[in-house]
Amino acid sequence: MATFGSPIDGSATRMTIDMKYYRRYILHIVAFLILFNVAFITPVFSIKTFASSSSKEPMISLQEIIDQSSSGASIVLDSGTYEGPVIINKKLSIRGDGSVTLLNNTQESAIAIHSNGVTLQGINIQHNTDGESTAIEVTADEVTLDNLRIHTRGYGIKLRDANRGIIQNNDIKWFIPKGAGAGNRGNGIDLYNSHDNQIEYNEISYLRDGIYLENSRNTVVNENKLFHLRYGIHCMYVDGSHLTDNEGEYNMTGAMVMGVTNVVVSDNSFRKQSENVHAQGILLYDVHKSSIERNVVEGNRVGIYMEGSSKNQLRDNAVLRNFIGIQLMGAEGNQFQSNAFIANVIEAEAIDSKDNEMKGNYWDSFQGLDLNQDGISDIPYVINPFYQNLISRNSAYQLFFQSPGMTFLSDMFTSGSEHWSADSSPLMKLNTTTPMETAEKDGTVMVTSWMLLFVSIIIIIYMGVLRS
Amino acid sequence: MIDMMQVARREIKMGFRNPWAYSFLILFCTFSLSLLIINSQNIVEGYSGITGSMLSLILYLLPLMTLFLGSFSLTSEKEEGSWQLLSTYPMGTMSFIVGKYVGLSIVLLTIVAFGYGLMGFLSGFLGTSFDSTTYFLFLVFSCGLVMLFLTVALFIGSLSKNRWQALTISVSIWFFAIIGWPTILISVLGLLPYLWIKPLLVALTFINPAELVRLFVVIKLGGGSILGPEYFQWVEWIQKPSGSLLFAAVCLFWIVGSIIIVYWIWERGRSRG
Repeated sequence: MATFGSPIDGSATRMTIDMKYYRRYILHIVAFLILFNVAFITPVFSIKTFASSSSKEPMISLQEIIDQSSSGASIVLDSGTYEGPVIINKKLSIRGDGSVTLLNNTQESAIAIHSNGVTLQGINIQHNTDGESTAIEVTADEVTLDNLRIHTRGYGIKLRDANRGIIQNNDIKWFIPKGAGAGNRGNGIDLYNSHDNQIEYNEISYLRDGIYLENSRNTVVNENKLFHLRYGIHCMYVDGSHLTDNEGEYNMTGAMVMGVTNVVVSDNSFRKQSENVHAQGILLYDVHKSSIERNVVEGNRVGIYMEGSSKNQLRDNAVLRNFIGIQLMGAEGNQFQSNAFIANVIEAEAIDSKDNEMKGNYWDSFQGLDLNQDGISDIPYVINPFYQNLISRNSAYQLFFQSPGMTFLSDMFTSGSEHWSADSSPLMKLNTTTPMETAEKDGTVMVTSWMLLFVSIIIIIYMGVLRS
Repeated sequence: MIDMMQVARREIKMGFRNPWAYSFLILFCTFSLSLLIINSQNIVEGYSGITGSMLSLILYLLPLMTLFLGSFSLTSEKEEGSWQLLSTYPMGTMSFIVGKYVGLSIVLLTIVAFGYGLMGFLSGFLGTSFDSTTYFLFLVFSCGLVMLFLTVALFIGSLSKNRWQALTISVSIWFFAIIGWPTILISVLGLLPYLWIKPLLVALTFINPAELVRLFVVIKLGGGSILGPEYFQWVEWIQKPSGSLLFAAVCLFWIVGSIIIVYWIWERGRSRG
C-alpha cells in the first residue's frame, strides 16, 4: 500500500482513510454473507413449512420480544403474524388489538406461561398440532387470559397447578371453521389441580369438552357459551365450584357433574342435546349436598339425569320439551321443589330412588284434584317405574318408548306404588311463565292447510253431495 | 284400467254418502282441535310431550276408522249382493280390488286432509306455532297409517261374512296392534333366549303397521336417540333421506303384497260361485 504513496502528505492521509473505508466495506460484505447464510440458506426447511400457512409474510419472533423485556413490563404488540412457540417465564403483560396472530406449528404449547401474574390480551392464536398439545399452557398462579381467539387442533387452554387465574372473553374453536373433519379434538379449557379460578364469558365450540375441570376446587364457571361439544362443562372432584349462567346447545351433554359436594349449578340453560343416545341436559353422578337451581333444560334427550347422588336441592328448574324430563337412578334423600315439567314426552322416571322429598312441582300432564282450592293437588303425583325397569332388564324394549300400548301396560302395574317416588303436593297451576323458546310463525303451514281444506271440501261436495 | 276407475269412482261416491265417514271426520277434527287448544301456549316442533300425545291420539283413532270403513265397504258388497252382480260382468277381480283400495284411500285421505287443513288453519288463530316440518311429518304419518291399515281392512273385509264379523275382527286387530302389542310381545319374547329378543322385535315391528309408522315418525322428528344404543344404526339410516325411500319401499311392499293376497281370496270366492 505504501507503494501507492504520493509525494504530497495530504494525499497520503486521504489514502489511509480510503483504506479504512475499503476494509469496512469488505467487513460488511462478509457480515452480509454470513447473515444471508444464517437467514436464508440453513433454515430453508423451516421456511418452507411456515410459508405454506402464513402467506409468506416475515414472521416476528415473539420469544425475542419477551426475552428483551424485563419483568413487570407491559408489551403492546403491533399487528402482524408472530411465530410460536413462546415461553413466558417472567411477569409480563402482553396485549394485542385483535389483529395480532401467533402461529404455532410445533408440538410445544403455542404459549407456555410459567410465571405468576402474567396477562395475555387480544391475541389470535392458531395452534396447528393435534394430540395432547395445547395452544396455551399455564402452570403459574394469578394469570389472566382475556379476549383471546384460539383456533386449535389440540387443546385450547390448559391449566396445571395454576390457581386464582382469570380466563374470560375468550373464543376457542376447532381449527376447521365449521367443525368438520375427524381427528382427536382436545378440550377447550382444561383444568387439573388448579383451584379458585374464574372462567367467564368464553365461547367454546366444536371441541371435545368445552370446560373440563378435574381436581379443581372453588372454580367459578360463569356465563360461558358452549356449542357442538361432547360435554359442555365436564367436572370431576371440584368441590365448592359454581357453574352459573352458562348456555349450551347441541352438545352431547350440557353439564356433566361428577364426584362433587357443595357445588352450585344455577341459572344455566342447556338446549337441544338430543342427538346422541347418551345425551342429556345436566348429568349429576355422585353429587352430594349441592344445589341445582333455576336451570332451563329444553329439548334434550334427558333433561336432568341423576345417579348415585344424595342430599341435593333441585329448585325452580324449568324442564321443557325433553324426551324424558328427569331420570333418577339410585338417587336418595334429595329435595325437588318448585320445578316445572312442561311438554316432556315422559316427565319423570325413577328407580331405586328412596327418601326423595318432592314438593310443589308442576307436572303439566298430571290431572290433579284440588278440593280445598289452595292451588295444590290433594292427590300425589307418582312416578311409574315400569318402563325404566323393563328396559334396564333388556334395552331392546326401548323400541316401545311411549308407544300407546306401553303407557297402557305401565298403568296396569300399580302394585307397590307406595314405594314409588312421588310428589306429595304437586301444583295445579304454574304461576310463573317459563322461558320456553318460541318459533317464528311459519307461512307454509298456513298455505298448506288452506289448500288441504279447499281440496278436501271440493272432493266431498263434488263426489258426495252433488248428484250426477 | 277403466273398470278400476269405475270401481274407484263408485267407491268414493258411496264413501261420501256414508254417514260413518262424516262421524269419523267430526271425531278426528274434534280431538285434534282439543289437543291444539290444550297446547295453545306451546310450540309444536320436534319430539316433545305435545307431538307425543298427538301421535298417540292419531294411533288410537285413525287405524280404527280405517279398519271400520274399509272392512264394511267390502262386506257390504257381499251382503248387498253387488259383488254377485259384478261377478257376472266381464270385469277382472284385480280391477275390483285395486279400485276399491284406491277409492277407499281417497275417501280416508280426504278426511285426514280436512282434519289437518282445519287444524293448521285454526292453529293460526289459536296462537299455536306449528313448525312446518312437524306438520308435514304428521300428515305423512297419518296418510301412511291410513294406507297401511287399509290393506289390513281389505283382509278383514275379505275374510268376514258380514258386518258384525268385520266389526269384531276389526276391533280385536286394532286392540292387538295398538294397545296390546307391547304386552303380548314382552310376555312372549320373555320366554325366548335373551339374544333373540332384539332381532325378533325388529322383525315383528315390520309386521305391525302402527309401530312401523310410529317409529318412523319419532325418528324423523328427531327422537331417535331415545331408542337407545341398540337401534343406533337403524336410527342413523332412517334419518338420512334414503331412510324415507326405504320406508316408502316397505310401505309399497306391504300394500302390493296384501292386495295380491286379497285378490287371491276374492278370485277363489269368485270361481266357487
